[in-house]
Amino acid sequence: MTSALPMLQVRRLAKRFPPRAGAESPWILADLSFHVCEREFLTMVGPSGAGKSTLLNIIAQVDGASDGEILFRGEAIGSANGRTLNPGWDCQIGYVTQDDNLLPWRTLIDNVTLPLKLQGRYDEAAKKRVVELFCATNLTGFERYYPHELSGGMRKRGSLIRTLAYDPPIILMDEPFSAVDAQTRTQLQQDLLRLWNLGRKTIVFVTHDIAEAIALGDRVLVLSKSPAKVIADHRIDISRPRDLGNVYKLEGFGDIFERVRRDIQ
Amino acid sequence: MTAAALSSPLRLRSKPYLVPAGRIALGIAIVALWQIGTGVMGRDFLPSPWDTLARIGSLARSGELFRDAAITFGEAAAGMLLGGAAGAILPFLLRLSPRLMRALDPLISAGFGLPKLALAPLFILWFGIGITTKVVFVASIVFFLMFYNGLAGVLSVDPRLIATFRVAGAGEWVINREIVWNTAKPFLFSGLKIALPRALSGAVVGEFIAADQGLGWYIEHARSLNDTTGVLAGAVIVTVLVMAVNAGLRRVQARSLAWRPLAADMTL
Repeated sequence: MTSALPMLQVRRLAKRFPPRAGAESPWILADLSFHVCEREFLTMVGPSGAGKSTLLNIIAQVDGASDGEILFRGEAIGSANGRTLNPGWDCQIGYVTQDDNLLPWRTLIDNVTLPLKLQGRYDEAAKKRVVELFCATNLTGFERYYPHELSGGMRKRGSLIRTLAYDPPIILMDEPFSAVDAQTRTQLQQDLLRLWNLGRKTIVFVTHDIAEAIALGDRVLVLSKSPAKVIADHRIDISRPRDLGNVYKLEGFGDIFERVRRDIQ
Repeated sequence: MTAAALSSPLRLRSKPYLVPAGRIALGIAIVALWQIGTGVMGRDFLPSPWDTLARIGSLARSGELFRDAAITFGEAAAGMLLGGAAGAILPFLLRLSPRLMRALDPLISAGFGLPKLALAPLFILWFGIGITTKVVFVASIVFFLMFYNGLAGVLSVDPRLIATFRVAGAGEWVINREIVWNTAKPFLFSGLKIALPRALSGAVVGEFIAADQGLGWYIEHARSLNDTTGVLAGAVIVTVLVMAVNAGLRRVQARSLAWRPLAADMTL
Protein backbone atom coordinates (compact mmCIF):
# COMPACT_ATOMS: atom_id res chain seq x y z
CA MET A 1 0.00 0.00 0.00
CA THR A 2 2.86 2.35 0.83
CA SER A 3 4.13 2.07 -2.71
CA ALA A 4 6.66 4.74 -3.62
CA LEU A 5 5.42 7.84 -5.34
CA PRO A 6 5.86 7.59 -9.10
CA MET A 7 8.77 9.69 -10.28
CA LEU A 8 6.78 11.29 -13.04
CA GLN A 9 3.04 11.49 -13.44
CA VAL A 10 1.33 12.83 -16.51
CA ARG A 11 -2.35 13.57 -16.00
CA ARG A 12 -4.96 14.23 -18.66
CA LEU A 13 -2.44 16.01 -20.83
CA ALA A 14 -3.81 17.75 -23.92
CA LYS A 15 -2.13 19.79 -26.57
CA ARG A 16 -3.00 21.62 -29.69
CA PHE A 17 -1.02 24.29 -31.44
CA PRO A 18 -2.34 27.84 -31.84
CA PRO A 19 -4.93 28.42 -34.59
CA ARG A 20 -3.40 28.76 -38.02
CA ALA A 21 -4.84 31.07 -40.68
CA GLY A 22 -7.93 31.52 -38.53
CA ALA A 23 -8.73 27.80 -38.38
CA GLU A 24 -8.45 25.81 -35.15
CA SER A 25 -5.55 23.35 -35.12
CA PRO A 26 -6.36 19.70 -34.40
CA TRP A 27 -5.62 18.13 -31.01
CA ILE A 28 -2.22 16.41 -30.98
CA LEU A 29 -2.59 14.95 -27.51
CA ALA A 30 -5.88 14.40 -25.74
CA ASP A 31 -6.52 13.05 -22.25
CA LEU A 32 -3.09 11.43 -22.10
CA SER A 33 -2.14 9.97 -18.73
CA PHE A 34 0.66 7.70 -17.53
CA HIS A 35 3.31 7.44 -14.85
CA VAL A 36 6.91 6.28 -14.58
CA CYS A 37 8.46 4.83 -11.44
CA GLU A 38 11.93 5.47 -10.14
CA ARG A 39 14.60 3.49 -12.04
CA GLU A 40 12.08 2.24 -14.53
CA PHE A 41 12.84 1.96 -18.25
CA LEU A 42 9.55 2.94 -19.84
CA THR A 43 9.14 2.72 -23.58
CA MET A 44 6.32 4.25 -25.57
CA VAL A 45 5.43 3.04 -29.00
CA GLY A 46 3.05 4.67 -31.40
CA PRO A 47 2.56 5.31 -35.09
CA SER A 48 4.64 7.98 -36.78
CA GLY A 49 3.10 11.40 -36.42
CA ALA A 50 1.20 10.42 -33.29
CA GLY A 51 2.58 13.32 -31.29
CA LYS A 52 5.34 11.45 -29.48
CA SER A 53 7.87 14.26 -29.88
CA THR A 54 5.27 16.80 -28.82
CA LEU A 55 4.66 14.80 -25.66
CA LEU A 56 8.35 14.71 -24.76
CA ASN A 57 8.75 18.40 -25.61
CA ILE A 58 6.01 19.17 -23.13
CA ILE A 59 7.49 16.97 -20.40
CA ALA A 60 10.92 18.56 -20.98
CA GLN A 61 9.15 21.96 -20.90
CA VAL A 62 10.47 22.99 -24.25
CA ASP A 63 6.81 23.45 -25.15
CA GLY A 64 3.72 24.14 -23.07
CA ALA A 65 0.62 21.98 -22.67
CA SER A 66 -2.89 23.16 -23.51
CA ASP A 67 -4.44 21.23 -20.62
CA GLY A 68 -3.57 18.73 -17.93
CA GLU A 69 -0.66 18.55 -15.54
CA ILE A 70 2.72 16.92 -15.01
CA LEU A 71 4.00 15.97 -11.56
CA PHE A 72 7.68 15.38 -10.93
CA ARG A 73 8.14 13.59 -7.58
CA GLY A 74 4.69 14.82 -6.63
CA GLU A 75 5.34 18.45 -7.51
CA ALA A 76 3.50 20.09 -10.40
CA ILE A 77 6.08 21.19 -12.96
CA GLY A 78 4.12 22.23 -15.96
CA SER A 79 0.45 22.88 -16.43
CA ALA A 80 -1.81 24.60 -18.85
CA ASN A 81 -1.89 27.80 -16.83
CA GLY A 82 1.86 27.87 -16.18
CA ARG A 83 2.90 30.57 -18.61
CA THR A 84 6.64 30.47 -18.12
CA LEU A 85 8.45 27.30 -19.07
CA ASN A 86 11.51 26.02 -17.29
CA PRO A 87 13.19 23.75 -19.87
CA GLY A 88 14.70 20.70 -18.22
CA TRP A 89 13.21 21.66 -14.85
CA ASP A 90 16.52 22.86 -13.43
CA CYS A 91 18.49 20.05 -15.07
CA GLN A 92 16.28 17.40 -13.43
CA ILE A 93 14.91 16.20 -16.77
CA GLY A 94 17.41 15.21 -19.45
CA TYR A 95 16.31 15.05 -23.07
CA VAL A 96 18.02 13.10 -25.85
CA THR A 97 16.41 14.29 -29.05
CA GLN A 98 16.00 12.64 -32.42
CA ASP A 99 18.86 14.70 -33.91
CA ASP A 100 22.15 14.61 -32.06
CA ASN A 101 22.17 18.42 -31.75
CA LEU A 102 25.88 18.56 -31.05
CA LEU A 103 27.45 21.99 -31.48
CA PRO A 104 29.40 21.78 -34.75
CA TRP A 105 32.02 24.27 -33.54
CA ARG A 106 32.86 22.29 -30.39
CA THR A 107 34.88 19.13 -30.12
CA LEU A 108 33.16 16.03 -28.81
CA ILE A 109 34.63 16.40 -25.32
CA ASP A 110 33.59 20.06 -25.16
CA ASN A 111 30.08 19.13 -26.28
CA VAL A 112 29.79 16.44 -23.62
CA THR A 113 31.19 18.58 -20.81
CA LEU A 114 29.47 21.86 -21.70
CA PRO A 115 26.29 21.14 -19.67
CA LEU A 116 28.42 20.21 -16.66
CA LYS A 117 30.40 23.44 -17.00
CA LEU A 118 27.21 25.49 -17.40
CA GLN A 119 25.86 23.92 -14.24
CA GLY A 120 29.16 24.56 -12.43
CA ARG A 121 29.56 20.86 -11.72
CA TYR A 122 32.64 19.95 -13.76
CA ASP A 123 34.62 18.68 -10.78
CA GLU A 124 36.97 15.71 -10.41
CA ALA A 125 34.14 13.22 -9.98
CA ALA A 126 32.43 14.52 -13.11
CA LYS A 127 35.68 14.35 -15.08
CA LYS A 128 36.08 10.74 -14.04
CA ARG A 129 32.51 9.93 -15.04
CA VAL A 130 33.02 11.53 -18.45
CA VAL A 131 36.13 9.41 -19.05
CA GLU A 132 34.16 6.30 -18.08
CA LEU A 133 31.31 7.23 -20.39
CA PHE A 134 33.68 7.78 -23.32
CA CYS A 135 35.19 4.40 -22.59
CA ALA A 136 31.83 2.62 -22.21
CA THR A 137 30.66 3.94 -25.58
CA ASN A 138 33.92 3.29 -27.45
CA LEU A 139 34.51 6.98 -28.03
CA THR A 140 37.88 7.12 -26.28
CA GLY A 141 40.39 8.65 -28.67
CA PHE A 142 37.80 10.81 -30.41
CA GLU A 143 37.54 13.47 -27.68
CA ARG A 144 39.17 16.17 -29.82
CA TYR A 145 37.18 15.43 -32.99
CA TYR A 146 34.55 17.81 -34.28
CA PRO A 147 31.05 16.34 -34.84
CA HIS A 148 31.35 16.51 -38.64
CA GLU A 149 34.42 14.28 -38.42
CA LEU A 150 32.47 11.52 -36.65
CA SER A 151 30.08 8.88 -37.95
CA GLY A 152 26.33 9.12 -37.32
CA GLY A 153 26.48 6.40 -34.68
CA MET A 154 29.34 8.10 -32.85
CA ARG A 155 27.49 11.40 -32.83
CA LYS A 156 24.45 9.60 -31.38
CA ARG A 157 26.56 8.08 -28.63
CA GLY A 158 28.05 11.52 -28.03
CA SER A 159 24.63 13.11 -27.60
CA LEU A 160 23.63 10.23 -25.31
CA ILE A 161 26.59 10.61 -22.97
CA ARG A 162 26.26 14.40 -23.01
CA THR A 163 23.00 13.89 -21.14
CA LEU A 164 24.21 10.96 -19.03
CA ALA A 165 27.31 12.94 -17.99
CA TYR A 166 25.34 15.52 -16.03
CA ASP A 167 23.25 12.78 -14.54
CA PRO A 168 19.66 14.08 -14.48
CA PRO A 169 17.33 11.82 -12.44
CA ILE A 170 15.09 11.21 -15.43
CA ILE A 171 15.97 11.08 -19.12
CA LEU A 172 13.57 11.43 -22.04
CA MET A 173 14.63 9.86 -25.33
CA ASP A 174 12.93 10.66 -28.60
CA GLU A 175 13.67 7.92 -31.14
CA PRO A 176 17.38 8.51 -30.58
CA PHE A 177 18.40 5.60 -32.82
CA SER A 178 16.01 6.11 -35.71
CA ALA A 179 18.52 7.68 -38.09
CA VAL A 180 21.21 4.99 -38.00
CA ASP A 181 21.57 1.69 -39.82
CA ALA A 182 20.26 -1.54 -38.30
CA GLN A 183 23.60 -2.86 -37.11
CA THR A 184 24.70 0.38 -35.48
CA ARG A 185 21.30 0.62 -33.93
CA THR A 186 21.57 -2.77 -32.22
CA GLN A 187 25.00 -1.73 -30.93
CA LEU A 188 23.64 1.57 -29.63
CA GLN A 189 20.73 -0.19 -27.94
CA GLN A 190 23.12 -2.60 -26.28
CA ASP A 191 25.29 0.36 -25.16
CA LEU A 192 22.25 2.12 -23.77
CA LEU A 193 21.15 -0.93 -21.77
CA ARG A 194 24.66 -1.35 -20.40
CA LEU A 195 24.83 2.31 -19.37
CA TRP A 196 21.36 2.07 -17.86
CA ASN A 197 22.41 -0.99 -15.91
CA LEU A 198 25.40 0.90 -14.49
CA GLY A 199 23.39 3.88 -13.26
CA ARG A 200 19.76 2.65 -13.32
CA LYS A 201 18.25 5.94 -14.29
CA THR A 202 14.61 6.53 -14.99
CA ILE A 203 14.10 6.57 -18.74
CA VAL A 204 11.15 7.41 -20.94
CA PHE A 205 12.03 6.13 -24.40
CA VAL A 206 9.79 6.90 -27.34
CA THR A 207 9.94 4.94 -30.61
CA HIS A 208 7.80 3.77 -33.49
CA ASP A 209 9.65 0.46 -33.58
CA ILE A 210 7.75 -2.21 -31.62
CA ALA A 211 10.73 -4.57 -31.38
CA GLU A 212 12.92 -1.80 -29.98
CA ALA A 213 10.27 -0.83 -27.42
CA ILE A 214 9.99 -4.41 -26.17
CA ALA A 215 13.71 -5.16 -26.28
CA LEU A 216 14.64 -2.16 -24.14
CA GLY A 217 11.75 -1.55 -21.78
CA ASP A 218 10.45 -2.73 -18.46
CA ARG A 219 7.05 -1.56 -19.57
CA VAL A 220 5.67 -0.64 -22.99
CA LEU A 221 2.92 1.92 -23.40
CA VAL A 222 1.05 1.97 -26.68
CA LEU A 223 -0.09 5.34 -28.00
CA SER A 224 -3.05 5.76 -30.32
CA LYS A 225 -3.04 7.68 -33.54
CA SER A 226 -3.42 11.42 -33.27
CA PRO A 227 -4.75 12.74 -30.95
CA ALA A 228 -2.48 10.54 -28.90
CA LYS A 229 -3.53 8.83 -25.71
CA VAL A 230 -2.29 5.74 -23.93
CA ILE A 231 -4.33 2.75 -25.10
CA ALA A 232 -2.37 -0.15 -23.62
CA ASP A 233 0.22 -0.84 -20.94
CA HIS A 234 2.30 -4.02 -21.20
CA ARG A 235 4.76 -5.20 -18.56
CA ILE A 236 7.81 -6.83 -20.18
CA ASP A 237 9.03 -9.72 -18.09
CA ILE A 238 11.94 -10.73 -20.31
CA SER A 239 14.89 -11.21 -17.97
CA ARG A 240 17.94 -8.94 -18.07
CA PRO A 241 20.61 -8.73 -19.30
CA ARG A 242 19.06 -9.15 -22.72
CA ASP A 243 20.96 -10.15 -25.84
CA LEU A 244 19.71 -7.61 -28.36
CA GLY A 245 21.43 -9.35 -31.25
CA ASN A 246 18.71 -11.98 -30.98
CA VAL A 247 15.68 -10.16 -29.64
CA TYR A 248 13.27 -12.35 -31.56
CA LYS A 249 14.56 -15.42 -29.73
CA LEU A 250 14.12 -13.87 -26.29
CA GLU A 251 11.66 -15.79 -24.17
CA GLY A 252 8.16 -14.34 -24.47
CA PHE A 253 9.14 -11.80 -27.12
CA GLY A 254 6.92 -13.07 -29.92
CA ASP A 255 3.89 -13.15 -27.67
CA ILE A 256 4.24 -9.54 -26.50
CA PHE A 257 5.14 -8.38 -30.00
CA GLU A 258 1.85 -9.78 -31.32
CA ARG A 259 -0.16 -8.13 -28.56
CA VAL A 260 1.46 -4.72 -29.09
CA ARG A 261 1.03 -4.98 -32.83
CA ARG A 262 -2.66 -5.70 -32.44
CA ASP A 263 -3.03 -2.69 -30.10
CA ILE A 264 -1.49 -0.40 -32.66
CA GLN A 265 -3.79 -1.52 -35.45
CA MET B 1 28.87 18.22 -59.24
CA THR B 2 31.43 16.21 -61.15
CA ALA B 3 34.08 13.99 -59.65
CA ALA B 4 36.78 16.38 -60.84
CA ALA B 5 35.13 19.31 -59.05
CA LEU B 6 34.82 17.26 -55.87
CA SER B 7 38.45 16.26 -55.90
CA SER B 8 39.79 19.74 -56.61
CA PRO B 9 40.41 20.68 -52.96
CA LEU B 10 42.71 17.66 -52.68
CA ARG B 11 44.62 18.70 -55.75
CA LEU B 12 44.91 22.20 -54.31
CA ARG B 13 46.64 20.76 -51.30
CA SER B 14 48.93 18.40 -53.19
CA LYS B 15 50.44 21.22 -55.31
CA PRO B 16 50.44 24.25 -53.05
CA TYR B 17 52.68 26.31 -55.35
CA LEU B 18 50.13 26.34 -58.20
CA VAL B 19 47.85 28.99 -56.70
CA PRO B 20 50.54 31.59 -55.90
CA ALA B 21 52.19 30.90 -59.25
CA GLY B 22 48.88 31.52 -61.01
CA ARG B 23 48.39 34.75 -59.09
CA ILE B 24 51.85 36.01 -60.08
CA ALA B 25 51.24 35.07 -63.70
CA LEU B 26 47.93 36.95 -63.66
CA GLY B 27 49.60 39.97 -62.07
CA ILE B 28 52.26 40.02 -64.78
CA ALA B 29 49.56 39.72 -67.46
CA ILE B 30 47.68 42.70 -66.03
CA VAL B 31 50.82 44.85 -65.90
CA ALA B 32 51.67 43.82 -69.48
CA LEU B 33 48.16 44.82 -70.67
CA TRP B 34 48.52 48.08 -68.79
CA GLN B 35 51.83 48.73 -70.56
CA ILE B 36 50.23 47.99 -73.92
CA GLY B 37 47.36 50.31 -73.04
CA THR B 38 49.85 53.06 -72.26
CA GLY B 39 51.43 52.53 -75.66
CA VAL B 40 48.08 52.78 -77.42
CA MET B 41 46.56 55.66 -75.45
CA GLY B 42 49.66 57.68 -74.66
CA ARG B 43 51.26 58.44 -71.31
CA ASP B 44 49.05 61.42 -70.56
CA PHE B 45 45.87 59.36 -70.75
CA LEU B 46 47.23 56.19 -69.15
CA PRO B 47 50.52 56.61 -67.28
CA SER B 48 52.78 53.57 -67.59
CA PRO B 49 53.17 51.03 -64.76
CA TRP B 50 56.76 52.14 -64.32
CA ASP B 51 55.86 55.85 -63.99
CA THR B 52 53.16 54.96 -61.49
CA LEU B 53 55.55 52.82 -59.46
CA ALA B 54 58.16 55.60 -59.55
CA ARG B 55 55.58 58.06 -58.23
CA ILE B 56 54.63 55.67 -55.41
CA GLY B 57 58.34 55.35 -54.63
CA SER B 58 58.83 59.10 -54.40
CA LEU B 59 55.69 59.44 -52.25
CA ALA B 60 57.08 56.77 -49.95
CA ARG B 61 60.46 58.50 -49.73
CA SER B 62 58.89 61.84 -48.86
CA GLY B 63 56.69 60.16 -46.22
CA GLU B 64 53.49 61.51 -47.81
CA LEU B 65 52.37 58.00 -48.67
CA PHE B 66 52.46 56.81 -45.08
CA ARG B 67 50.89 59.99 -43.69
CA ASP B 68 48.00 59.95 -46.15
CA ALA B 69 47.53 56.19 -45.94
CA ALA B 70 47.47 56.34 -42.15
CA ILE B 71 44.80 59.06 -42.23
CA THR B 72 42.59 57.20 -44.69
CA PHE B 73 43.12 53.91 -42.86
CA GLY B 74 42.32 55.58 -39.55
CA GLU B 75 39.07 57.04 -40.88
CA ALA B 76 38.05 53.65 -42.27
CA ALA B 77 38.96 51.87 -39.04
CA ALA B 78 37.10 54.37 -36.86
CA GLY B 79 34.07 54.13 -39.17
CA MET B 80 34.20 50.33 -38.91
CA LEU B 81 34.46 50.46 -35.13
CA LEU B 82 31.52 52.82 -34.92
CA GLY B 83 29.16 51.66 -37.66
CA GLY B 84 30.42 48.11 -38.21
CA ALA B 85 30.32 47.17 -34.55
CA ALA B 86 26.88 48.71 -34.08
CA GLY B 87 25.59 46.91 -37.15
CA ALA B 88 27.03 43.60 -35.96
CA ILE B 89 25.68 43.87 -32.43
CA LEU B 90 22.18 45.11 -33.22
CA PRO B 91 20.89 41.78 -34.65
CA PHE B 92 21.84 40.01 -31.40
CA LEU B 93 19.72 42.49 -29.44
CA LEU B 94 16.84 42.36 -31.91
CA ARG B 95 16.74 38.56 -31.58
CA LEU B 96 15.41 39.05 -28.07
CA SER B 97 12.42 41.00 -29.39
CA PRO B 98 11.00 39.76 -32.69
CA ARG B 99 8.36 42.47 -32.47
CA LEU B 100 10.97 45.23 -32.36
CA MET B 101 12.81 43.50 -35.22
CA ARG B 102 9.69 43.63 -37.38
CA ALA B 103 9.02 47.23 -36.40
CA LEU B 104 12.55 48.36 -37.28
CA ASP B 105 12.83 46.38 -40.50
CA PRO B 106 11.34 48.94 -42.96
CA LEU B 107 13.20 51.73 -41.17
CA ILE B 108 16.55 50.02 -41.58
CA SER B 109 15.98 49.07 -45.20
CA ALA B 110 15.04 52.70 -45.89
CA GLY B 111 18.31 53.74 -44.25
CA PHE B 112 20.18 51.23 -46.39
CA GLY B 113 18.56 52.58 -49.54
CA LEU B 114 19.32 56.19 -48.66
CA PRO B 115 22.18 57.39 -50.92
CA LYS B 116 24.87 58.39 -48.42
CA LEU B 117 26.84 60.36 -51.00
CA ALA B 118 23.84 62.62 -51.54
CA LEU B 119 23.95 63.43 -47.84
CA ALA B 120 27.62 64.40 -47.97
CA PRO B 121 26.91 68.17 -48.05
CA LEU B 122 24.83 67.77 -44.89
CA PHE B 123 27.54 65.73 -43.21
CA ILE B 124 30.03 68.51 -43.97
CA LEU B 125 27.60 71.06 -42.58
CA TRP B 126 27.17 69.05 -39.38
CA PHE B 127 30.66 67.68 -38.82
CA GLY B 128 32.94 70.07 -40.71
CA ILE B 129 35.54 69.04 -43.25
CA GLY B 130 37.73 67.23 -40.73
CA ILE B 131 38.12 63.52 -40.05
CA THR B 132 34.76 63.23 -38.23
CA THR B 133 32.79 63.65 -41.45
CA LYS B 134 34.64 60.79 -43.12
CA VAL B 135 34.24 58.55 -40.08
CA VAL B 136 30.49 59.18 -40.02
CA PHE B 137 30.29 58.66 -43.78
CA VAL B 138 32.12 55.32 -43.54
CA ALA B 139 30.05 54.28 -40.51
CA SER B 140 26.80 55.04 -42.35
CA ILE B 141 27.86 52.68 -45.15
CA VAL B 142 29.32 49.73 -43.22
CA PHE B 143 26.60 49.72 -40.56
CA PHE B 144 24.10 48.27 -43.02
CA LEU B 145 26.52 45.76 -44.53
CA MET B 146 27.35 44.35 -41.12
CA PHE B 147 23.75 44.56 -39.93
CA TYR B 148 22.26 42.54 -42.77
CA ASN B 149 24.95 39.87 -42.63
CA GLY B 150 24.69 39.65 -38.85
CA LEU B 151 20.91 39.45 -39.09
CA ALA B 152 21.11 36.59 -41.59
CA GLY B 153 23.45 34.82 -39.16
CA VAL B 154 21.27 35.36 -36.12
CA LEU B 155 18.17 34.20 -38.02
CA SER B 156 19.88 31.02 -39.18
CA VAL B 157 20.37 29.73 -35.63
CA ASP B 158 19.08 26.18 -35.25
CA PRO B 159 16.27 26.37 -32.66
CA ARG B 160 16.84 22.70 -31.81
CA LEU B 161 20.35 23.50 -30.56
CA ILE B 162 18.90 26.22 -28.38
CA ALA B 163 16.19 23.93 -26.98
CA THR B 164 18.73 21.17 -26.29
CA PHE B 165 21.03 23.47 -24.35
CA ARG B 166 18.20 25.20 -22.49
CA VAL B 167 17.17 21.78 -21.21
CA ALA B 168 20.78 21.19 -20.14
CA GLY B 169 20.84 24.37 -18.08
CA ALA B 170 21.90 27.15 -20.45
CA GLY B 171 20.50 30.62 -19.73
CA GLU B 172 19.83 33.36 -22.26
CA TRP B 173 23.34 34.79 -21.99
CA VAL B 174 24.99 31.41 -22.64
CA ILE B 175 22.63 30.76 -25.56
CA ASN B 176 23.68 34.09 -27.06
CA ARG B 177 27.39 33.68 -26.47
CA GLU B 178 27.71 30.01 -27.32
CA ILE B 179 25.09 29.23 -29.96
CA VAL B 180 23.95 32.47 -31.59
CA TRP B 181 27.44 33.99 -31.70
CA ASN B 182 29.08 30.88 -33.16
CA THR B 183 26.31 30.45 -35.72
CA ALA B 184 26.52 34.08 -36.78
CA LYS B 185 30.32 34.24 -36.92
CA PRO B 186 30.75 32.98 -40.51
CA PHE B 187 28.08 35.49 -41.59
CA LEU B 188 29.88 38.31 -39.79
CA PHE B 189 33.08 37.35 -41.60
CA SER B 190 31.20 37.52 -44.91
CA GLY B 191 30.04 40.95 -43.81
CA LEU B 192 33.59 42.04 -43.00
CA LYS B 193 34.76 40.76 -46.36
CA ILE B 194 32.45 43.29 -48.03
CA ALA B 195 32.49 46.02 -45.39
CA LEU B 196 36.25 46.42 -44.91
CA PRO B 197 37.00 47.33 -48.57
CA ARG B 198 33.88 49.49 -48.59
CA ALA B 199 35.12 51.27 -45.47
CA LEU B 200 38.40 52.14 -47.17
CA SER B 201 36.77 53.24 -50.42
CA GLY B 202 34.18 55.15 -48.37
CA ALA B 203 36.95 57.05 -46.61
CA VAL B 204 38.60 57.82 -49.98
CA VAL B 205 35.32 59.06 -51.48
CA GLY B 206 34.70 61.12 -48.36
CA GLU B 207 38.09 62.76 -48.88
CA PHE B 208 37.23 63.55 -52.50
CA ILE B 209 34.44 65.77 -51.28
CA ALA B 210 36.25 67.79 -48.67
CA ALA B 211 39.64 67.16 -47.11
CA ASP B 212 43.16 68.49 -46.83
CA GLN B 213 44.89 65.16 -46.28
CA GLY B 214 44.45 61.45 -46.95
CA LEU B 215 44.72 59.24 -50.03
CA GLY B 216 41.40 60.50 -51.41
CA TRP B 217 42.58 64.05 -51.02
CA TYR B 218 45.83 63.17 -52.84
CA ILE B 219 43.92 61.60 -55.75
CA GLU B 220 41.53 64.54 -55.97
CA HIS B 221 44.39 67.02 -55.73
CA ALA B 222 46.28 65.22 -58.54
CA ARG B 223 43.11 65.22 -60.66
CA SER B 224 42.74 68.99 -60.26
CA LEU B 225 46.31 69.34 -61.58
CA ASN B 226 45.65 66.98 -64.51
CA ASP B 227 48.31 64.75 -62.91
CA THR B 228 47.08 61.37 -64.20
CA THR B 229 50.13 59.59 -62.78
CA GLY B 230 49.19 60.88 -59.33
CA VAL B 231 45.59 59.70 -59.73
CA LEU B 232 46.71 56.23 -60.76
CA ALA B 233 49.38 56.05 -58.05
CA GLY B 234 46.79 56.95 -55.41
CA ALA B 235 44.37 54.34 -56.74
CA VAL B 236 47.07 51.67 -56.70
CA ILE B 237 47.97 52.52 -53.10
CA VAL B 238 44.33 52.24 -52.03
CA THR B 239 44.07 48.89 -53.81
CA VAL B 240 47.18 47.57 -52.07
CA LEU B 241 45.77 48.73 -48.75
CA VAL B 242 42.51 46.85 -49.43
CA MET B 243 44.46 43.73 -50.36
CA ALA B 244 46.52 43.94 -47.17
CA VAL B 245 43.38 44.30 -45.06
CA ASN B 246 41.80 41.34 -46.87
CA ALA B 247 44.87 39.19 -46.25
CA GLY B 248 44.70 40.01 -42.54
CA LEU B 249 41.00 39.20 -42.46
CA ARG B 250 41.61 35.88 -44.20
CA ARG B 251 44.08 34.87 -41.52
CA VAL B 252 41.80 35.79 -38.64
CA GLN B 253 38.91 34.00 -40.34
CA ALA B 254 40.89 30.83 -40.98
CA ARG B 255 41.89 30.66 -37.33
CA SER B 256 38.47 31.57 -36.01
CA LEU B 257 36.50 29.13 -38.18
CA ALA B 258 39.00 26.28 -38.04
CA TRP B 259 36.26 23.91 -36.86
CA ARG B 260 34.46 24.04 -40.19
CA PRO B 261 34.85 21.19 -42.65
CA LEU B 262 37.65 21.98 -45.12
CA ALA B 263 38.09 25.45 -43.68
CA ALA B 264 41.24 25.88 -45.74
CA ASP B 265 39.34 25.40 -48.99
CA MET B 266 36.29 27.41 -48.00
CA THR B 267 38.22 30.51 -46.96
CA LEU B 268 38.60 32.44 -50.16
